[in-house]
Amino acid sequence: MNPRRSYAAGTGLFILLGFAALAYLATQTTSLVNFQSGPTYDVTAEFTNIGGLKDRAPVKLAGVRIGTVEAVKLDQKSMDAKVTMAISDRYNEIPADSYAKIMTSGLLGDQFISISPGGSPRNLKNGSMLENTQSALQLEDLIGKFLTGSGGSRTKSSGTGSGTP
Amino acid sequence: MRQLAARLFDPLLDGLADVGRTGWFFLGMLIALPRGLTYPRELFRQIWFVGAKSLIIIMISGLFVGMVLSLQLYYTLSIFGGTSALGTVIALSLYRELGPVVTALLFAGRAGTAITAEVGLMRATDQLSAMEMMAVDPMAFVASPRFLAGLIAMPLLVAVFNLMGLFGGHLVGVSWLGIDNGTFWSNMTSNVSVWKDVVNGEWKALAFGALVSLIAVYQGYSAPPTSEGVANATTRTVVSSSIAILALDFVLTAFLM
Amino acid sequence: MPESTTNRSDPAVPMVQVRSLTTVLGGKVIFDSLDLEIARGSISAIMGPSGTGKTTLLKHITGQLHGDSGTVLVDGQDVARLGREDLFRLRERVGYLFQNSALLSDYDVFENVAFPLRAHTKLPEDLIRNIVLMKLQAVGLRGASRLMPSELSGGMARRVALARAIVFDPMLILYDEPFVGLDPIALNQVLKLIRTLNRELGITSVLVAHEFAAIREVADVVHLIAGGKRVASGTPSELARGDSPWTAQFFGGALEGPVPFQYPAPPLADDFGFEEQRA
Repeated sequence: MNPRRSYAAGTGLFILLGFAALAYLATQTTSLVNFQSGPTYDVTAEFTNIGGLKDRAPVKLAGVRIGTVEAVKLDQKSMDAKVTMAISDRYNEIPADSYAKIMTSGLLGDQFISISPGGSPRNLKNGSMLENTQSALQLEDLIGKFLTGSGGSRTKSSGTGSGTP
Repeated sequence: MRQLAARLFDPLLDGLADVGRTGWFFLGMLIALPRGLTYPRELFRQIWFVGAKSLIIIMISGLFVGMVLSLQLYYTLSIFGGTSALGTVIALSLYRELGPVVTALLFAGRAGTAITAEVGLMRATDQLSAMEMMAVDPMAFVASPRFLAGLIAMPLLVAVFNLMGLFGGHLVGVSWLGIDNGTFWSNMTSNVSVWKDVVNGEWKALAFGALVSLIAVYQGYSAPPTSEGVANATTRTVVSSSIAILALDFVLTAFLM
Repeated sequence: MPESTTNRSDPAVPMVQVRSLTTVLGGKVIFDSLDLEIARGSISAIMGPSGTGKTTLLKHITGQLHGDSGTVLVDGQDVARLGREDLFRLRERVGYLFQNSALLSDYDVFENVAFPLRAHTKLPEDLIRNIVLMKLQAVGLRGASRLMPSELSGGMARRVALARAIVFDPMLILYDEPFVGLDPIALNQVLKLIRTLNRELGITSVLVAHEFAAIREVADVVHLIAGGKRVASGTPSELARGDSPWTAQFFGGALEGPVPFQYPAPPLADDFGFEEQRA
């Protein structure tokens, strides 16, 4: 083989490998993974306190990821946090009276929204609002409650992060 | 007294003068850069020399850095009961800091010294003068392709380093220390951002690539045409590059992150 | 007007004219109002004690260095006043043989000779191949075209460098110490090549060398430079007669003469401390 061409081939291979590694890092190890590939519909929910919930945080039902947090805004009338979630169109049979709760994976883990299904025959659709919500558990509140001897059972159920209230 | 002051300040002034001369050299090279692009074959050859030939050391180092990182961070995180964040912390440490910096240091040692020695030898054996005599500007034919090759190769090497590091970290964290695979990945994918972490790390890689190859080419170009001169220049490439990388890293981190 | 570029290659104009060239490098006077002429089509040798700036003179001719005053005209053009483009165009017509051959170590023999062609022309590959092999044939190394420079002997490397220097059929070749480190066979080969290139292609040749025996074989004129001036000129046999003290010392091999054996030094007594003992 022509030595000049084998240089070029080796160099080309190196460049391809480098870009492949970069593409893998960018798409498979970052929040890009969380972008729903298919179409989604938006559902909102209001929380009195969202804690450390961020954009792109996962929305889970029974531990399965069904969507992502799209936006977090403050509603100046109610002084509540208004969270918009993008739910994958595949999951279009979630009861409208479901219960949204901000949970933490592990003690210091990231926060996500856990949906607990209700019993309504009507399903969530684009623009629906989840009425039943529970805010993020604040570590400070928790310690306060522990010190005053109340709310022990709640601490336990949230601490495990199992997704069932 | 005056002697003492001279002994203290002379190396400082020498260093400052070296920085200044490197700056002038950089300007000269920028002017020659468009003409350097007329030698694409030379550019490809240099990407092979500085990039592809550094691949093995980068991959092995990345693997071990990732493994060590996993062990150390697991220990630290377990104190706070936060081992589920292991994937996140490994990825962030690699992408934002260790990937670009360690790769750049290795790059200076592997490719930088090779560039300095090669260019220094070309100077010592009159190859650069011969090019001038053949009406070929060595700035365009020798300096520019090596500089550009470093600029192109570094971000790619950093990506490979990060990937290997992640693999090593995953190996130790998940296979040996028993962290749940799903936790490792989902925690990481929800906390690592493409733009803030991966891309900013690559900006650093680009800057370090430019810095190291500039220093390496300049040191080779200006090395005295003796074997001692070339040897000293090679040493200076490693020392100057390492200091410059770490200093620039601080500045870039402060601005980018 | 000899400076104008219109009468390039005017056979009446000498190939190289050095006029009252004065050069000071690092505080040392290298040339002190040097005058020199190289006739078109001749083989001229420049000789002189080591450190008199013979190689420096070649660098003036190629425009790599410029004097502090005086002019160097090559083919009627003032080298110091040429712009970068014109200088490079002039250099394409001047071959330069470096003392250590200066072959590009990354490329094999073929690519070394092809290098100027690839850099300055857009010739098709088969034409480049023909030219390169022709030049290599001229120096007798066509069979070595795929060797790397590190695989060549000193004599072979110099012949490859010569093939590279003549690839554009230059009007002038400058040889910097072409005979150093060659065995007698290689020396004869290089001598033959210098003579052939001059006689058959009419290439003006300037040699810087110390080997008078070799120079005697090829040179038409010898210029002896010492102390920054031209101290003697003539045919090799004229100079060998040693009419002036310079030529007598240089070609007769006397230890003392215009060039002292002792490097300038403080009086002997100072260095060895005789006076203190006496006091």
